[in-house]
Amino acid sequence: MTIVAEPTPAPASVAEPPTSAVPVQVLLTHHRFTVAEYQRLGEVGIIGEEDRVELIDGEILDMGDIGRSHAAHVAWLTTLIARKSEETMIVSVQNPLQLGERYQPQPDLMLLREHADRYKSALPTAEDVLLLVEVADSSLDYDQRIKLAVYARAGVTEVWIVNLDADQVEIYTQPQEAAYTTTRVARRGETVQIGALPAVTLPVTDILL
Amino acid sequence: MTTVAEPTTAPAPVAEPPAPAVPVQVPRTHHRFTAAEYNRLGEVGIIGEDERVELIDGEILDMCAIGYRHAAHVRELTTLLADNRVKGMRIDVQNPLQLGERYQPQPDLMLLRARTDRYKAALPTAADVLLLIEVADSSLDYDQHIKLPMYAQAGVAEVWIVNLDADQVEIYTQPQGTAYTDTRVARRGETVQIGALPAVTLPVTDILL
Repeated sequence: MTIVAEPTPAPASVAEPPTSAVPVQVLLTHHRFTVAEYQRLGEVGIIGEEDRVELIDGEILDMGDIGRSHAAHVAWLTTLIARKSEETMIVSVQNPLQLGERYQPQPDLMLLREHADRYKSALPTAEDVLLLVEVADSSLDYDQRIKLAVYARAGVTEVWIVNLDADQVEIYTQPQEAAYTTTRVARRGETVQIGALPAVTLPVTDILL
Repeated sequence: MTTVAEPTTAPAPVAEPPAPAVPVQVPRTHHRFTAAEYNRLGEVGIIGEDERVELIDGEILDMCAIGYRHAAHVRELTTLLADNRVKGMRIDVQNPLQLGERYQPQPDLMLLRARTDRYKAALPTAADVLLLIEVADSSLDYDQHIKLPMYAQAGVAEVWIVNLDADQVEIYTQPQGTAYTDTRVARRGETVQIGALPAVTLPVTDILL
């Protein structure tokens, strides 16, 4: 990611002052951490459990506060999916997912496949994910442009973006490289299905509330 | 600082695909660390001593590798300052300076006042700095637009930017708010003086090499 420095109060101009109408492009890179280093930050308490952070391409990003509407949708979807899932499946809410060496996002919701130790010894990885859901309001751009590409590249098989602004559920499947090759947009009145739970049909209205 | 997401391989377009000509502004901020947390990262070895990083507004930034031209100027200036310092003063090269809770830059060079503990007990702070020098080649924008306001705000009394591209030495004094109210540009053929060493006169050519 490129950092664009907001031209903070311009310093006393020198010689030919850089008369930039546009913010000055500064070539700065944030320090990148590996997943191991990032997890260590949590263990030694430099990043607390109450900090809402994600590791994206080695950069530690703050996730922003959870709004009322976002929280309501996540809570309801959790209930819905827990109710419909099979007994051995695990529903993981706003918990980390490990994707390679430099990514540890915290998706809003994941339906995970059965795991012998119930993920006590290691975080879930892409292949454990049956369905990943992001509820997007202010985070829409980020979810569509950054996280979707991250999930596709890692091979997460099915991602839903519950797009609150557009009042629709976007279903992404068939990851290939950094994109999903199949996209479906489901609107109120329609129903959606989870690939891993073919017997279950959910009305979109139940998801959008 | 705002992070601008490079529109990575765009996801499969949904409904009305947002076709941004400009990079999409993503409302994600890098996690900010306090100076104490940042120093802890070093202590527990998550960031090694050989890593060139700075803490700027709570964000951990990687510094560029040092080019031979930059290195030569820093070396030469170090020698010049060492030759001219008053007994007790310390010369600090590419070491951290603590400026408040969220800033710990690593200036190229500092002339520090005498301190009884010889800086064993704590990092130097703005009040300890008699002169701070940044040698700027590729880092010029960063030095002028980010670091200079930061040094001014902290009250560093005198900053020089050795501007290699413009072949000049920029002398900033009288910090007020986030700017220096007194700026002088010195070119080859001229001489410069250090506020804290009024008896010393240095030819600009000795600095620019």
